[in-house]
Amino acid sequence: MTWEEFPFAAYSSMAFWALGSLVSLAALKKDSLAMPGRVLMMTGSVIMMVFLVLFWAALDRPPLRTLGETRLWYAVLIPMVGFLVEFRWKIGWLKYYCMALAALFLGINLMAPDVYDKSLMPALQSVWFVPHVVVYLVGYVLLAASSAAAWHLLFRARGGRGLPEGGERVSHYLALLGFVFLSFGLVFGALWAKEAWGHYWTWDPKETWALIAWLAYLGYLHANAMNMSSRTLQWYLGLAFLVLLVSWFGVNYLPSAQNSVHSYQTG
Amino acid sequence: MEKHSGNDRLWSFSESVVFTALLIVFGFGIELLTGASGLEIPSWPLNAVVLALGCAVIIPAGIFLRNNCYIAWLGGIPLGLCLIFGLAFLSFFGGILPQEPAVGSWWVRHLRLNQVFSSWPFALTVLFFLVNLGLSLVWKTVPFRSSNLQFILFHAGFWIALACGLLGASDLQRVIIPLYEGQETSRGYNSREKTMVDLPFSLYLDDFEMQEYAPQLALYDPATEQLVPDESNAVLQASEGLEMSWPGLTVRVLDYLPHGRPGSDGVPVASAPEDGVAYVSVEGTVDGERFSGWLGTGGPHVEPAFIAVGTRVLVLIPGSASSYRSEVSIRGRDAGTVDTVLEVNRPVSVNGWKLYQMGYDEQAGRWSRLSLVEGVRDPWLPAVYTGFFMILAGNVLFFWKGMKKSRVL
Repeated sequence: MTWEEFPFAAYSSMAFWALGSLVSLAALKKDSLAMPGRVLMMTGSVIMMVFLVLFWAALDRPPLRTLGETRLWYAVLIPMVGFLVEFRWKIGWLKYYCMALAALFLGINLMAPDVYDKSLMPALQSVWFVPHVVVYLVGYVLLAASSAAAWHLLFRARGGRGLPEGGERVSHYLALLGFVFLSFGLVFGALWAKEAWGHYWTWDPKETWALIAWLAYLGYLHANAMNMSSRTLQWYLGLAFLVLLVSWFGVNYLPSAQNSVHSYQTG
Repeated sequence: MEKHSGNDRLWSFSESVVFTALLIVFGFGIELLTGASGLEIPSWPLNAVVLALGCAVIIPAGIFLRNNCYIAWLGGIPLGLCLIFGLAFLSFFGGILPQEPAVGSWWVRHLRLNQVFSSWPFALTVLFFLVNLGLSLVWKTVPFRSSNLQFILFHAGFWIALACGLLGASDLQRVIIPLYEGQETSRGYNSREKTMVDLPFSLYLDDFEMQEYAPQLALYDPATEQLVPDESNAVLQASEGLEMSWPGLTVRVLDYLPHGRPGSDGVPVASAPEDGVAYVSVEGTVDGERFSGWLGTGGPHVEPAFIAVGTRVLVLIPGSASSYRSEVSIRGRDAGTVDTVLEVNRPVSVNGWKLYQMGYDEQAGRWSRLSLVEGVRDPWLPAVYTGFFMILAGNVLFFWKGMKKSRVL
């Protein structure tokens, strides 16, 4: 599988997610539709998962080098967060946001097709490559879901209505778990940098933005410990994800990034 | 994260905001008044003395002045939060603006925003952050309770990594060691201080070796001076049978010679890797007309071979480096000679230094007889790594507690 086959996989996944969502929404009135809805949504994710595995096999290297490749992982992982939240906490609405975000990232890949390139520069040929990037992606996915949950609550509490009782727990726990993965990603990156480039921290723009994002969520945990109002905290989580997006995508467009060691794009 | 109580009341948040803002403004004021000279971190042993003094102040203050309202505020969450924002704010400039001396507008240069991580506002914010973190750590550690272990590991790890990483930066030595095949050297160039450094070992380069990915067939448009992506939008490595197409143009690779040289009749023949360059024989059609010929990457002593197709040109681009390594003999001051291989991501330790395969003569590519090795000496690394692993351990506990609390497990 290469990028040539990607549109088929992406459109199929999106179609299954959309159809599954419609059936699941209908299941709110008719219980018997719940299982078919779930199966349809899962099928959408399985298609993307199979594509990722076959893409990896065709590429002969982990598909984690370009931003387009990381978006594939994102599209696989974020619906899983939504499904797990529903499975464990019986909260159904988050999965729709998660699938919408996954579809958005697949849409970006469809609009800006990545260049298929099997080469991998020597610095990336390391045992740290997969754990560093995958841990970060899991962190990003959890924090995106946390942000979606926060926006959902704020939307429901618009016009002076109070936040739903206990609703903030979802965004909080997702942020907490996401922060743990960010910390691991940051430290793994530092340990790898030492092996590849001789120093664990060089204030490379990507490192700096990863630190800013980490500090933003560290700030959230302390703001939460300070008993700030739930509404403020939801706004915080909703907006903090924007910092993460700069760290993931935005850095490449900043003047500081001209000499970044994290520029692996070919296209 | 545990809810705070006692002296860390929310009302102290506004004081913390004002304090942090003044701290940063004061730091920028120093930069303006001193011509943006920044802060020079003292090197060994003075940095260790500073660290010890810091601990000698923070630990007793935390233990004996715990009930003093100023100390309580200094180690409280509101100030901690504001200092986190302060660090993020200053890092923001570092993440946006190129961090190079003498670059940027007047304000950027005079406030040292172009080297913000060695500036006074950053140093002052870090200093108070370490004080804040240190005090809260003392309070959670004395008396020790196992329920505080996660807090202690995470905060102490962060304190150690930050303090030792920043204070130890002045003892970090990085030198570039140019090695030529068949020659020995025991000197390196310190690019930061622009000085030559005598090393406690010598290096002899037996052989520099480089592997490349297969070359790529590409279409070059002289009018735009750019490569034209083929219809599959792929970077495809040359191989027999490879087919590529562009609007009005199709190409098929008939033969691929990884190492060849022009024969007496001009047709490339296979040769030894040392003196050969990559060739492919291709056939195809351009606007319905057939063509065929050889494409070659060229090398130091061989011209590249290309085929004009209409207004554009088919070319063969050398593959990028897939790996490169230096076979070296290291002679230490005390020990004997060790033969080893330096490779990217596989550094070698010798006499307190770590040696890294850094680069080569990029003009010469795989014919390079020069290998650039970087030597790094960082005596504070064990302390920083201790901090890193404590952060990770704290996070594992944090994760576990979070999973339990949120009923995921």
